[in-house]
Amino acid sequence: MDTLINVAHGFGVALLPINLLYCFIGVFIGTLVGVLPGIGPISAMSLLLPITLSGTPESGIIMMAGIYYGSMYGGSTTSILVNIPGEAASVVTCIDGHQMAKQGRAGPALGIAAFGSFIAGTFALVALMLVAPKLASIAIAFGPAEYFSLMVLGLVVLTFLTQGSMAKALLMACVGVVLGLIGLDSITAQPRLTFGRVELIDGIGLVPVVMGLFGIAEVLLNTEQVIKRDIINTRITHLLPSRADWKASAGPMSRGTIMGFLLGILPGGGAVVASFGSYALEKRLSKTPERFGNGAIEGVAGPEAANNAAAGGAFIPLMTLGIPPNVVMALLLGAFVIHGLQPGPLMITQNPGLFWGIVASMYIGNLMLLVLNLPMIGMWVQLLKLPYNILFPLIILFTIIGVYCSSNNVFDVYVMIAFGVIGYFMRKLGYEPAPLVLAFVLGPMLENNLRKSLILSQGNLTTFIERPISAACLALAIVLLVSPLLPAMRKKRELVALDEGA
Amino acid sequence: MSNDSDVKFRLNNSELWGGLIGLALGGFVIWSGLKLKLGTINDPGSGYVLFYTGILMCLFAAAIIIAALAEGGPSFGSRWQNTRWTKPVIVIACLVAFAFSLDTFGFLLSSIPLMVLLLRLIDPVRWQLTIPIALLVPLGMWWILKRLLLIQLPSGIFEIG
Repeated sequence: MDTLINVAHGFGVALLPINLLYCFIGVFIGTLVGVLPGIGPISAMSLLLPITLSGTPESGIIMMAGIYYGSMYGGSTTSILVNIPGEAASVVTCIDGHQMAKQGRAGPALGIAAFGSFIAGTFALVALMLVAPKLASIAIAFGPAEYFSLMVLGLVVLTFLTQGSMAKALLMACVGVVLGLIGLDSITAQPRLTFGRVELIDGIGLVPVVMGLFGIAEVLLNTEQVIKRDIINTRITHLLPSRADWKASAGPMSRGTIMGFLLGILPGGGAVVASFGSYALEKRLSKTPERFGNGAIEGVAGPEAANNAAAGGAFIPLMTLGIPPNVVMALLLGAFVIHGLQPGPLMITQNPGLFWGIVASMYIGNLMLLVLNLPMIGMWVQLLKLPYNILFPLIILFTIIGVYCSSNNVFDVYVMIAFGVIGYFMRKLGYEPAPLVLAFVLGPMLENNLRKSLILSQGNLTTFIERPISAACLALAIVLLVSPLLPAMRKKRELVALDEGA
Repeated sequence: MSNDSDVKFRLNNSELWGGLIGLALGGFVIWSGLKLKLGTINDPGSGYVLFYTGILMCLFAAAIIIAALAEGGPSFGSRWQNTRWTKPVIVIACLVAFAFSLDTFGFLLSSIPLMVLLLRLIDPVRWQLTIPIALLVPLGMWWILKRLLLIQLPSGIFEIG
């Protein structure tokens, strides 16, 4: 009953005209960046992070969330029609989605992707409503030791799932922690690694780091190649899947939804792993696995449902524990912090309007996305024809303006350009930026909780293994750290390794 | 592929250099941690986490170096093989020039030439399109930010914008 009252309260907040407008802007931009290859939700969210300052916290966060789950919808359009994933979670959709389009079935492929996304998104929201308050009530009992261990686990999971060498990913995570610690020590107020620069006293901003590593570096990488697009030119008809399509897709959608939601909750996991996992599962369960790769609708329905359910699930650790499970959620945490809010176990009780408003807006946003992605598909197809030689300079200009507006400081523009160049060379040498960014956000919290637990336990390190949740997290982290040393596990890791930056 | 496998001990083994840079960074972080004071385990100081993170960085960098020496790694050249490597160099040069000119010349006088250069140098856009885009987009952004959002962009020594 309480949940229903809260949901009604949430809809009251989400249906305010200003919040509806922000929600629409969010899902529209999300679809836009999902459709356009080369720009992902991370770049778009970091670009728009400063804009959230102009409205209420609810409006800003509703818009940021909209960009994230909107990009999951939009990504499938590019995958199906152009065979280029609009964002990383849609890589798998290219395999069968584009084959379907080539066979003249672009309509059903787009339709099932949109309906699958909607159904999974709705399920994830209902689950979020039910799980988050319960988890938050448990999380109140968490002490600094549990928080420290959970963050360590989150970082280790992300490094485990990052493409390439795990040593490189771990090195990047350490660099992220160090960058996060630049500025005044929160306990002793001593300046650290500021090199005498006043601009560094408050630390390096999240926006210039993320926009440099993901926005500028992505453009630099893209300019290296001639991007060829094989756009399906036939008229897109029959967006509503047939009865046979629904029958074939029902199972994959259900399994993808549940798998995606569970993987989304895990720190370090997320939409990309969920979509790959769902595809592998469907291929294994299928009686005709040879159809996969040749236009099997199950290969579109399962992964698309999984990545949307994961996007919903990823809100749980952020909302209930205050720990962002991936880079996108780290940016959302940034939006909360800009407004002086700290997501965590107390947020649901202390700020119910915000929490339930965001949840309700996500449902409204899912409905908006269904309209944006089906009847208006033609508009997105036209957009796919926008030339990159015009798009890239515009992205660069927008990132510069976005960074400057976030702090009104030219120094941040220098920081962004520096991180753009560093990010480009990092990617060229096989160092992924995702662990760095997550560690950059978690670094100060990680240090704070480590120092607090050591002070509280009077230097007794066993505090981390005497507390069951902390011990379980650390044990799992150790297993993941050691497992790549075993050849069988190394192969499995390579199979699921993801590229968060794409 | 031969290019990738025969650079075990050579100086152009990019993996080796990546590891060495990591090692140097780790060493610097350890030194910074020590300089900031470690404190004790009962009361960790400002340099405590930095110091141990630096040690971890050195360990991971050492693992990368060992792997680079044992298994070899791609040369720097192979990383940029079959790519238009001059394009990112041009974009980086434009961005650095923009960064230096932003404070002095202000947003408008810096961003218009930046747009012209990017539009013409990445994959040349026709002049008929380059000029209006390079003029209208920065001007439009400047107008929205200054007039609608009341955000002051740098105006430079000529106080334009």
